[in-house]
Amino acid sequence: MECIFGLVGDGFALIAADSSAVHSILVHKSNEDKVLVLDSHKLLGVSGEAGDRVQFIEYIQKNVHLYQFRNGIPLNTAAAANFTRGELATALRKNPYFVNILLAGYDKGIGPSLYYIDYIATLHKIDKGAFGYGSYFSLAMMDRYFRSGMSLEEAIDLVDKCIMEIRSRLFVAPPNFVIKIVDQNGAREYAWRESISSD
Amino acid sequence: MAKALADVPPKGGFSFDLCRRNDMLVKKGIQLPGFRKTGTTIVGLIFEDGVILGADTRATEGPIVADKNCEKIHYMAPNIYCCGAGTAADTEAVTDMVSSQLQLHRYATGRESRVVTTLTLLKSHLFSYQGYVSAALVLGGVDVTGPHLHTVYPHGSTDTLPFATMGSGSLAAMAVFESKYKEGLSREEGIQLVSEAICSGIFNDLGSGSNVDVCVITKGKTDYLRNHQLPNPRTYVSSRGYSFAKGHTEVLSTKIIPLKAKPEVAVVDAMEE
Amino acid sequence: MSIFEYNGSALVAMVGKNCFAIASDRRLGVQLQTIATDFRRIYKIHDKLYIGLSGLATDAQTLYQRLVFRHKLYQLREERDMKPETFASLVSALLYEKRFGPYFCQPVIAGLGDDNKPFICTMDSIGAKELAKDFVVAGTASESLYGACESMYKPDMEPEELFETISQALLASVDRDCLSGWGGHVLLVTPTEVQEKALKGRMD
Repeated sequence: MECIFGLVGDGFALIAADSSAVHSILVHKSNEDKVLVLDSHKLLGVSGEAGDRVQFIEYIQKNVHLYQFRNGIPLNTAAAANFTRGELATALRKNPYFVNILLAGYDKGIGPSLYYIDYIATLHKIDKGAFGYGSYFSLAMMDRYFRSGMSLEEAIDLVDKCIMEIRSRLFVAPPNFVIKIVDQNGAREYAWRESISSD
Repeated sequence: MAKALADVPPKGGFSFDLCRRNDMLVKKGIQLPGFRKTGTTIVGLIFEDGVILGADTRATEGPIVADKNCEKIHYMAPNIYCCGAGTAADTEAVTDMVSSQLQLHRYATGRESRVVTTLTLLKSHLFSYQGYVSAALVLGGVDVTGPHLHTVYPHGSTDTLPFATMGSGSLAAMAVFESKYKEGLSREEGIQLVSEAICSGIFNDLGSGSNVDVCVITKGKTDYLRNHQLPNPRTYVSSRGYSFAKGHTEVLSTKIIPLKAKPEVAVVDAMEE
Repeated sequence: MSIFEYNGSALVAMVGKNCFAIASDRRLGVQLQTIATDFRRIYKIHDKLYIGLSGLATDAQTLYQRLVFRHKLYQLREERDMKPETFASLVSALLYEKRFGPYFCQPVIAGLGDDNKPFICTMDSIGAKELAKDFVVAGTASESLYGACESMYKPDMEPEELFETISQALLASVDRDCLSGWGGHVLLVTPTEVQEKALKGRMD
């Protein structure tokens, strides 16, 4: 089942997500990338209903791009988070999207940040957060081992601890995970953690 | 900008745009909240010179007493008042709405409002909402045609009576009225009987409690006797109460923001030369 | 589960002598899972007017944004801040507009009026105002807050004592509520200054 989590370290933020596309008992795909590179310095990790997920994040991404084209400057992370929440909250009263979002970004002068937005549009700035069944394990691991200002190596080590815990304790654990980071050099894929081949 | 404008309702009326979202949440097994009710005793009677209204002052939310001294006798017009029972927000909103319509009507006509006008406005609003606006009212007033007392039910039906009770304590209060009411009561006898009926609700109905509010309306004069009787004073407070030493609470951080005094705006007299 | 228990919250406001205090817990949860322990439910409308929004966090955020929008329009049109009484009526009207599909929020409003007279008020989720002279409470810990405030409150407290009283009432109450707690925020407002304090609380 779905696992997505993220944390803020020293000068970077990262999001890790499982990469399974599941329908009832059947795994359709195990290399589905659920962490979208929103723009040069933003990551959008999304879990939730498959159709809603794609529909909503593309809508957000295109609008964030549109803003940048029109105004010549990108939205900062806080603004993008509030925009996303606003759209989710508006949709909630008409045709809700079942999507839970972690938004990570890096802004000049502000540094890295991570925002939590759940499917009913609760927005909160956090240092570490998670969604899905994996959250019961990853949140526990992060509560124990997270501290502010972790280096990239320490953070990746913690992510691996979380993945390990999910794989060993969650009955419906997904096999593969993708880790993406965002820092002053931009948002990018960092690594995959695969236990089965996705080819 | 178009969105911002859309946010301000151009006119009054209810907005139903959260209903669908809330339905979704109900389907997910989430319980909808209860609203504050005035589990109530409200009464009214006609005496020799006019009308007396009475109410208790307890507001409840489920089994919790939310307000120990609320006001349930609402102003409609200088010569007309209205007691409300049912969902607090509804009684408040419906009486406020009608009283502003009456005020506008008085501005237009320059005449004192009549009780039947008030009654018609109330019942037509309530009827159009099919009982979903749950306000049960006792309406009383004195106009050019004399004293009037009515009850209004949430569905919009009304009664015209010499004495009336409403709310969860209505049975207890009615028992008092049925045994002691007679025509042509004096002002003192009337206030006494109303207070007794309310007290019967306060002490015998769990939804009603605290104090007695009374409103006496006679030709050309209205006396609102707020907290006319206080049969349930607090007795269990020690004279000093609890006191905590300064610095007793563990504080993690303190931020002090000094407030600037608002600059005084000089009022310039327009006629001054 | 009631929708008010989804995120968990505790809110209280108390009146002192020419001052008031408004306090809340700091937990943001999703049912029994804690998301954050630095959440804010008390929002500033202007220097001497605050609103706390208990209940569903998303509705609190939406409602707050609408209220700020309406208050700014008022400031532009009237060139002054809203009186607490006026603001309470605005909140009540916004809530009652959605009588048949409500915001799942129970607000607590506290402010200093024109002559620095304290004003506190709470409402249910459809805008039934409850004006009180002493204290008002809201949230999942409201039952225990009623009890704590009822016994700890004294009229006409000075700011220092008011702070201790409201803090102790809050901390005592959230200890009896699983869904709220994890520290507290207290805002103490006097005619001359605002003190914002973060309280240390139990982390269980």
